[in-house]
Amino acid sequence: MSDKIRYGFYSGCCFQGADARFYEILQDVFAKIDVELELIQDAVCCGSGVIEERSELTSLAVNAKNMAHAEKMGLPLYTPCSTCFNVISNAQKRMRENPALHAQVNEILAEQGLEYKGTCKITHTLWVIAQDVGLEKLKERVTNPLSGLRVASYYGCHTRNPADIQGFESADNPTSLEDILRVLGVQIVEYETQEDCCGYHLAWPNNQLNMQMTANVLEGAHKKDVDLMVTSCPLCFKSMDGSQAKALAQTGKNFQLPVLFLPELVGLACGMSPDEMKLQFHGVPVSLRL
Amino acid sequence: MMTYDILIVGSGGAGLYAALESRMEEELQVGVLTKVYPTRSHTGAAQGGVNAALANLDETDTWQDHWFDTVKGSDYLADQDAVEIMTREAPMVVREMEHWGCPFSRTDEGKIAQRPFGGASKPRACYSADKVGHVMLHTLYEQGIRHGVNFFNEWLALSLLHDGKRCQGVTALNIQTGRVHTIRAKAVILATGGHGRIYWTRTSNALGNTGDGTAMAYRAGLPIKDMEFIQFHPTGLRRTGILVSEGARGEGGYLLNGLGERFMSRYAPEKMELGPRDLVSRSCETEVREGRGGPDGEVFLDLTHLGADRIKERLPQIRELCIEFEGVDPINEPIPIKPTAHYSMGGIHTDLNGQTPIEGIYAAGEAGCVSVHGANRLGGNSLLDILVFGKRTGRHALEFARNNDLVPLGMDQEKADEAMIAAMMAGTSGDSVADIRRAMGELMAEKVGVYRNAKDLESAVDTLAELQERLGRVRVQDKNRAFNTELVSALEMKNMLDLAEVVTVGALARQESRGAHTREDHPERNDQAWLAHTLATRGGDGKPKLEFNPVTITQFEPQARTY
Amino acid sequence: MSETITPDRKSILANIRIQRFTPGQHKSAFYDNFKVSVETGMTVLETLRLIKNTQDSSLTFRAFCRSKICGSCAVRVNGKPVLACSTQLMPILEDFKKESVTIQPLRNMPVLRDLVVDIDPVIEKLSKMHPYLMENRDRIPESLEQESLMSRQELSRFDYITDCILCGSCYSACSAASADPKYAGPLTLAKAYRFSADVRDDFKGERMQAAVDQGLWSCAQCRKCINVCPKDTRPAVSIQRMRKMSIDDGIHDTPGSRRAKAYTEDVAKYGQVNKPMLPVIVNGPKGWAAIEAADNYLRKHGIEPERQVCLLDGQNSAEQIYDKVKEIESKGENKI
Ligand SMILES: Cc1cc2nc3c(=O)[nH]c(=O)nc-3n(C[C@H](O)[C@H](O)[C@H](O)COP(=O)(O)OP(=O)(O)OC[C@H]3O[C@@H](n4cnc5c(N)ncnc54)[C@H](O)[C@@H]3O)c2cc1C
Ligand code: SF4
Ligand code: SF4
Ligand code: FES
Repeated sequence: MSDKIRYGFYSGCCFQGADARFYEILQDVFAKIDVELELIQDAVCCGSGVIEERSELTSLAVNAKNMAHAEKMGLPLYTPCSTCFNVISNAQKRMRENPALHAQVNEILAEQGLEYKGTCKITHTLWVIAQDVGLEKLKERVTNPLSGLRVASYYGCHTRNPADIQGFESADNPTSLEDILRVLGVQIVEYETQEDCCGYHLAWPNNQLNMQMTANVLEGAHKKDVDLMVTSCPLCFKSMDGSQAKALAQTGKNFQLPVLFLPELVGLACGMSPDEMKLQFHGVPVSLRL
Repeated sequence: MMTYDILIVGSGGAGLYAALESRMEEELQVGVLTKVYPTRSHTGAAQGGVNAALANLDETDTWQDHWFDTVKGSDYLADQDAVEIMTREAPMVVREMEHWGCPFSRTDEGKIAQRPFGGASKPRACYSADKVGHVMLHTLYEQGIRHGVNFFNEWLALSLLHDGKRCQGVTALNIQTGRVHTIRAKAVILATGGHGRIYWTRTSNALGNTGDGTAMAYRAGLPIKDMEFIQFHPTGLRRTGILVSEGARGEGGYLLNGLGERFMSRYAPEKMELGPRDLVSRSCETEVREGRGGPDGEVFLDLTHLGADRIKERLPQIRELCIEFEGVDPINEPIPIKPTAHYSMGGIHTDLNGQTPIEGIYAAGEAGCVSVHGANRLGGNSLLDILVFGKRTGRHALEFARNNDLVPLGMDQEKADEAMIAAMMAGTSGDSVADIRRAMGELMAEKVGVYRNAKDLESAVDTLAELQERLGRVRVQDKNRAFNTELVSALEMKNMLDLAEVVTVGALARQESRGAHTREDHPERNDQAWLAHTLATRGGDGKPKLEFNPVTITQFEPQARTY
Repeated sequence: MSETITPDRKSILANIRIQRFTPGQHKSAFYDNFKVSVETGMTVLETLRLIKNTQDSSLTFRAFCRSKICGSCAVRVNGKPVLACSTQLMPILEDFKKESVTIQPLRNMPVLRDLVVDIDPVIEKLSKMHPYLMENRDRIPESLEQESLMSRQELSRFDYITDCILCGSCYSACSAASADPKYAGPLTLAKAYRFSADVRDDFKGERMQAAVDQGLWSCAQCRKCINVCPKDTRPAVSIQRMRKMSIDDGIHDTPGSRRAKAYTEDVAKYGQVNKPMLPVIVNGPKGWAAIEAADNYLRKHGIEPERQVCLLDGQNSAEQIYDKVKEIESKGENKI
């Protein structure tokens, strides 16, 4: 049979506890495309950038630790969460630019018998599918092409900004999400707010603004009469789906737009059922002509 | 009618420093009128440094050394009393900038860092990485916000008003609305910067360095001084004239002609690429004149032999600049360059306090000419000039405004300016500004550029007269008054042509070679006949009239200028 | 020996699609298309100038230094804010694999004409931020006979921000600024931090108040501003640092500062954020409503909510890291 592609899996906080279903979905969907995840043991929360508001060094050290583990496993670090990806990539970048800082962080890790070499490759869902698995293989595995669906694609911010954490694709014109969606058979609809931020990280400091920003993005897509929005970021998913009702109510808008997390759509296209994708958990009901 | 005690035209370093100094008196109304937002002024482009004998790096440095270096660098045309003031006050103004928050780079002890600069006998250029003009400009702007300076942003001054004796104010176009206004003021300070753009694309200067204030003064009958002296920099990018700094040659870059020859061996076999700026500029120019240039009349600065690693490590900013502005990666191919007009030594004639012969009218900075740069400015001295004389001018204008009243003023000029604009905007057929501008730039670069001679200069005078005529026929095609940048260009064009004429006539008159002014037909400096300032005023026929004033020599007798 | 130099210069006939609008003359914005032969080396600004000089002299845009230092010329090219003067067009055509580009004015500011926007609202916000140094007399001598001393380390805390050219690109890219017209935006908050981080300054309290009032905690940390800043000044990072300063001051108790404290302490304690309890930690007792709603949602789907922090297993080691960092930071040996 075909070889499996393996990653060190860094879950972040989105794929456990109340959201543990996402981990299961992800594993099931990845199994369909020959991807295997190996949980990174002894991992620590990336701090979501928020710890940096107290201590930048702590944030770097914690994430160097996460990367050091992936290095020890000899696997690329894969995280499905865009913010984790962003924070960890940024830690890597800063240590690359500043060898003294890198050395200092390693001093901190030394007590735990760890060393962060700086060789760790970091990746996220889009690149796993579009680059490592490849669109060819994905195409082979699509048994239920979703043709006819009008889809608003939404990358969210943290796999894209800043440009120097970009991997294999163009920073200004990334296409991996659309490339994948096209293979799944859907029709991609451009909309004005597709580059805007959902404001997820304002949920605590300024919830009202978070709701406004989420509503703005949704409205842009809604105006183009799409069937659903698909995002590769689990946090954007929380804003767009979980907070949708609140966001729209608060901003006086009246519509519903189903939102899918990219792996869910991949699963559906690969023949898995809405139940298997646990779509009933969504805040906004997903009833699609599939 | 808008009325100010002091109106400052221009918000570069000179204008802002003058504004801050004159704001010291709270009850006086000070306005700053500028055609771009203050932080966009060309002062921001200065990268290298500002000179002051702080002696932070070399303890033996003194302001007297700085004084001498400047006088020598000027080829003895600078007024030595003015240079004395500038160099003596230099440490104070630089420290004042520092106290206002300017982020100068630092020495190991935490003092203001200094670096060596061409023509300076000691390392005295205070710097802030490669952005000294930018941080100075922003610091001044910030303090301007703090002290409540009134800004008129995106207003274009048109005419200078006086009654023959005293200042009355200016007329100006509000670019955003397209309306002309008269602004009354007891004192006006012209701080409108240089006029490098008379060479159009062959300059390192901003698009708006069109010498507006200098031309306004000239049209208002004030004398303008030493206009023939324009400094050229040898390595401007082919397309834009943006500077590739000396660092590239310092690191071992070769200058090649279109045939791929290291041509400096012909002109400076020992120093090669590291010869002085003016010699290198002339050599590049000669190669092109003699048919050995590249396809676009350029020569090349070649770094490829240094290798990718060295370029990336030692010259990252230069590499970025070439990629962004010229689309050329110096790792892979040679950089196309041309000598580029860089600094205007000449300007509005003033005394040591920035006063012109008309009471209440002042000039400072690159627009003015005190004269501290003479025939050739030293790197790092113009930022100093704008600080010291910006400040002195501001202080003097403050005294003046405090002790004088407003002078009566009518609306005639406003009507005349309005009529001129209406005429330019009426009708559709006519010449285009862009064409005339291009023709002027090419003409100036070719005939009034690095090399000059009587024949070329005479023909340039004729061609400029033709361009003036064509300008009279220009019709602005954009008929909307709001934010009409075509109209602004046409008005600037008028200023540039007036000044180009004065530069050319001055260059033709000065039958010697001194500093930046090189006459092929008069290759020597001639102190006997030409140790004098050129003063140009506009004659009744509209043509420049020249007079010559003696140079003030207080300390250093002219000697040959060798390095 | 020497070889004649023949530079490789390409040229493509491209369609330049430009947003046009003159208030009072047009009802709404529209697009004009211009055919331009784009050569290697041509910047967006040169392209605009060429169009203005040869095709339509009424095309309106700003530019001054044309060398990436004055901040006049920012526009959006294919949606991204860039400086027209330092952006090569050929690579963009190649990147987007199209022989067409779209040029629009910056967002989040009113259009004055075509590509020119009104930056005054942003300058006003900036002005309210006390964006200037107020002399700290412990550091800055009264007399001009003396310099104030400042170490390189002290300078490096804010030097990177002084590269800002007030071009407005970050402001254009900021979704928080689009959604909340009162939000000060990236460049203004970064400027506030620039001065508050300067040891020569003595005005931190009022400036901090201004920053908090104008949205210090309204930044979503989307990091777009970092992406688009042509001078690489990383505004979002300065905002994080300003937040830290505000928390360290201990004066401003905000949901944001409570979140930061909670995250930091939780990760030390559990290796993970205590998400189930966050509503109460950040919002106080009224947060229980949110917790109950979440519980009900889970129960609805047949999951029994647990109030336990979900554990990654790194919990023990996190504490060690914290201790070590504290030790380093207390000695001021931080290499950040
Ligand atoms: C690329 C470059 C590098 C340089 N590097 C150095 C260096 O390292 N060291 C050094 O000492 N010098 C350097 N110089 C020279 C120095 O920067 C300038 O001489 C100096 O900044 C001029 O300052 P200013 O205040 O006189 O004028 P500017 O800064 O040019 O300001 C002119 C002001 O006048 C306004 N204005 C003009 N016309 C009008 C009008 N009609 N109506 C209203 N407002 C108007 C403009 O808006 C602007 O605000 C450099 C110059 C260049 C081009
Ligand atoms: S990081 Fe903050 S300031 Fe920067 S663009 Fe995003 S929301 Fe705006
Ligand atoms: S921070 Fe960067 S993008 Fe924002 S205004 Fe300053 S230079 Fe422009
Ligand atoms: S024109 Fe000044 S930054 Fe582009």
